[in-house]
Amino acid sequence: MPATPGGFAGKVLRVDLSTGKFSTQDTFERYGEFLGGTGLGYQVLWEEVPAGAGPFDVANKLVFATGVLAGTSVPCSGRTAITTIFPSCWPKALVGSGHMGGQFAAKLKYAGYDAIIVEGRAERPVWLFIRDGHVELRDASRLWGGGIRRTTLEISQEMGADCCVAAIGQAGEKLAPMATVVNSMSHSAGGVGGVMGAKKLKAIGVQGSGGLRIAGDREHWERLVKFHLSILGANNQHVVPAFPSPESEYYNPGSRWVGEPGKRWGAAQPPVEITGSIHDMSRISYRTNSAAYFLGEQAWKHTVRGNGCTSCPIRCHTTLKVPAMATKYGLNEIAQGTCIALNFGRFFFPALPGGPKGQAALEACMIGMNMADDMGIWSNYGQIQRDFIKLANEGVFQAKLGSAEYASVPWDKWRAGDPAFLLDLIPRIGERRGELGNVLSQGSAGPFDHWGIPESSWEADHATTYWKMGHPKHHANEDDGQCGVIINTQYNRDAQCHSHTNFVRNGLPLHEQKRLAGELWGSPDSVDAPGHYTRMNPYKAQRAKWAIIRKELHDCLGLCNWMGPWVASPLKERGYRGDNSLESRFYSLATGRQLDREMLDLAGERVFTLHRALTIRDMATVDMRGAHDRVPRWVYEDPQGAQPFSQGTIRMDREDIGLAMDMFYEIMRWDKATGAPTRAAYARLNLDAVGKALADKGLAPESGK
Amino acid sequence: MNPGDTARLADAAGAAVRAASGELRLVDCEAVLEALASGGQFGESEPAAREAARALLPGLLAAHPALAALESRTGRTLYYAPDLLSRTYARILDRKGSPLLLMAEEIRLNSRDYPRPVPVELFQAPPFGLASEDIARALAAMAADPEYRDISSATTATGAVYLFSTRHLERGYAVFLAQRAESADMNP
Amino acid sequence: MVKEQPPTLIALAASAAGLDASLSRRGFLLFSACAVSSLAALGLCEAFGASPPVVILDNATGLILADPSRCVGCQRCELACSEFNDNRSQPSLARIKIARALNYGLDGPTGGSRMQGLWGDGLVVQGVCRQCPHPVPCATACPENAIVPDPKTGARMVDAKRCVGCRLCQRACPWGMMTFDEDRQKASKCFLCNGKPKCVEACPAGALRFVPWRDITREGRPTVAPLSVIPAAKAKACADCHTPAAKKGARR
Repeated sequence: MPATPGGFAGKVLRVDLSTGKFSTQDTFERYGEFLGGTGLGYQVLWEEVPAGAGPFDVANKLVFATGVLAGTSVPCSGRTAITTIFPSCWPKALVGSGHMGGQFAAKLKYAGYDAIIVEGRAERPVWLFIRDGHVELRDASRLWGGGIRRTTLEISQEMGADCCVAAIGQAGEKLAPMATVVNSMSHSAGGVGGVMGAKKLKAIGVQGSGGLRIAGDREHWERLVKFHLSILGANNQHVVPAFPSPESEYYNPGSRWVGEPGKRWGAAQPPVEITGSIHDMSRISYRTNSAAYFLGEQAWKHTVRGNGCTSCPIRCHTTLKVPAMATKYGLNEIAQGTCIALNFGRFFFPALPGGPKGQAALEACMIGMNMADDMGIWSNYGQIQRDFIKLANEGVFQAKLGSAEYASVPWDKWRAGDPAFLLDLIPRIGERRGELGNVLSQGSAGPFDHWGIPESSWEADHATTYWKMGHPKHHANEDDGQCGVIINTQYNRDAQCHSHTNFVRNGLPLHEQKRLAGELWGSPDSVDAPGHYTRMNPYKAQRAKWAIIRKELHDCLGLCNWMGPWVASPLKERGYRGDNSLESRFYSLATGRQLDREMLDLAGERVFTLHRALTIRDMATVDMRGAHDRVPRWVYEDPQGAQPFSQGTIRMDREDIGLAMDMFYEIMRWDKATGAPTRAAYARLNLDAVGKALADKGLAPESGK
Repeated sequence: MNPGDTARLADAAGAAVRAASGELRLVDCEAVLEALASGGQFGESEPAAREAARALLPGLLAAHPALAALESRTGRTLYYAPDLLSRTYARILDRKGSPLLLMAEEIRLNSRDYPRPVPVELFQAPPFGLASEDIARALAAMAADPEYRDISSATTATGAVYLFSTRHLERGYAVFLAQRAESADMNP
Repeated sequence: MVKEQPPTLIALAASAAGLDASLSRRGFLLFSACAVSSLAALGLCEAFGASPPVVILDNATGLILADPSRCVGCQRCELACSEFNDNRSQPSLARIKIARALNYGLDGPTGGSRMQGLWGDGLVVQGVCRQCPHPVPCATACPENAIVPDPKTGARMVDAKRCVGCRLCQRACPWGMMTFDEDRQKASKCFLCNGKPKCVEACPAGALRFVPWRDITREGRPTVAPLSVIPAAKAKACADCHTPAAKKGARR
């Protein structure tokens, strides 16, 4: 019987940039308990990165880890997590992950590795060459200072057209907290680019002819893959179309399933009309058009096609062709992105001629995508743009910037909503040029640290959607009441969890959602109507836990939490049910190790709890409730003064949220007073050693209550 | 008609309804009869056979396992194949002749079932396909008619118009949901 | 000589071509411009001798057509091919080829405005076996007669029992469509999955279709420098038909 379970490439690569030495470890033997992905990353950080290490310190490590299912035909399995001490986490950098899709995950596995642990710091810029287990560090001095596009081109010239390159741009080289790592044109991992830059690692090129063994029976595997395809909806697992259809009882104008028969990819040559059944398995890629969803009907005529991660049929990235980009701005006519990338440029403007779905908005997004993904700039889920607008509108720029620098910025273009403004602004950020560029490149921490602006003013302003620790909300109470609030308290950057929001925004009527919720989380009361929230109950806590654990699990398995979990489906004949055990079924078949849903979820809980432990250790406080699991003030206020639990408000109640946190800690078996896992909680998850190490520092309560 | 003939009639009628459903049409008994006649179902003894069929059809169609029926806004019974046409879509098709009913019913269903207001643009797009003048006329007619007193509109901060029924949605909540729908693309 | 076919058909064909009734092998081939299709219709592949080298293959009956303007670059076709045929998730074994042109198109990372693929204009040109008509480059190059028509579809398929891993077929394919499994040391190629190609089924964008075969070998330029390698025994068989025109006795 082979030592390595199926699905894994089998080896983790360690690269010590200080010494130039490589070594490998057996993935499953060494890291199997933490599955892969973020789990592997947290394990490395716990064991090897000392508490208090800064993000750009030599002691910090950068863990590129994909999961056991990546590189296979499991739908939506193209994800890589990059775990490190996260630069934009403020005021103290703590553990965090960026996530990227594209081809990197699959190609890394075909090259022979499940993960790369980058340690130390190179003396001079280097790039990492990986081909079929052969590893080298090559000189990157000619690439340094250049953008991600050219870097990718030149590395591809050296390695071959089928390699995949993950690279930083100027922003990462200059250690900007707002820097990304980008692969496959538009797939970016937020926040981690500066860590790579600090290590003088410009890029990683992966290429390989290897493959992955599927342990399970071939026919069984094929059936499960086809089953998964059959329960897919569109992006974010929206399971009803945006248009009334003879093939569907339900529809939702707000659905991301916008591919209505009759629409077409207008910039394909010749245009590709959408035809046939919306449930046809060979039409899945036509359901989603993120550009049309965010930028309106006009985007269809500019759509070349959909794009996305290896193995995913959804294609949530849209390749757009806009001739005006070349004629007006001297930029590539073609750009590509999904959701936040498609909004990158548009979000900088408080108003645009033609509105948020007009031509100017389209052009602004094209500029944003082109430039940000070349310089490797992160938007922090739109926070950099919201911060910019607030600082401009409140006169902070005018007050704080030197007069020469202030005068050099074309503010008139910004006020007029002229996309050309971005041609000036974005390079400032990417190059960290001047005070403006420098401050913005630090994220929200920039104004807080550099200009002494109190965080509390961000916390009080609804328009910032600021949450805590330098990052914004990410599907919080505006989508999902207490569940969303709980989820947003738990991480050290924006939560990046979609398990809950994919469900509540899936487009099914409330009564269908409640019926499914009853089956999934014990009661229909686990789900509320949007903006008509009811008081906290244990079922919502159950759902919040499920959402977090599943997200962590996806990040460990290489699955996409923007699509999963797949607990609802478009299929009327299934009562719109999906499958809550899909992840464990795939895991078992791929690896040959039988883990049922509860057991795999337990592994996910282990991983998430290690994240908690890392956070506690590095904050050096056990008081998570007070110091970490914070909720901004605006959540407890309503601009029109509406009361919590009335219809038409997302306003939460402090006491009720207190109760929500109580219930969450209880269901996690953590200490209620502090929100810290107890010794028993760690022991239950096979984290005895972790619990003891923290207890020795007074950071693990003995028992919960 | 002997049982064999009856069975054949039922099959042919079912096929005729399916064919119509495939073309996004609902049909009543008369239309089925017409389709059967032009398909040569009744042969040379046409008038008598046709009369016999007319008497039997409602029962046969109602009992057909692969068909569904709905009470049209005109009072007739209409038939369709539910595996080709969802009930929701069939009901939309039924109301297409009357912009006012088409809109009012859809607005009420959305307000009741999801619940949510609907953007006015919904009615310009397929399958509603109403011109903006027709929409305006229908809305004006609804405003003047006590039967449609519940149909109301909410305008968001960006000027988007959403329609809802006060039978099922309170105004404040409808406004909130409209605002939320409009800003969904800024909440990726 | 002819073993099984109804003599009347052959006589008809021969007299129509002005040939006499007793034909040499070569003469048979000369009577029609569509010799091969006629041969296919008459099922004459087995007709010539006890165990001759395989020189002529009947045409395939099916073909996978790929539409680059629909390809979304997901690589599900490659994964379906290797998973369901090799029990491995390994695009390098796939008999439909996406990865090599996915990023930059067929011309590779040149830069400039004419690049295709992800970093160019977006177009993904898929590599699909053309199930070549006679002369079939891979089959002709094989010294072991290991590339044979699939009984059901006529797809040119590698008989793994006969394959000795010499890689001559790889070198011979003008489009680089042969796959070589390094672990098993065997060649492989698209064999149309018994008439239900897995890649076609797997494509979520309808970019692949399984259609009746036609000759597309003159469409789309070859991507591999041609190198004609024909084993000696085969060359002899080729020479039997491919004689100088002056030696041909019959009218065309």
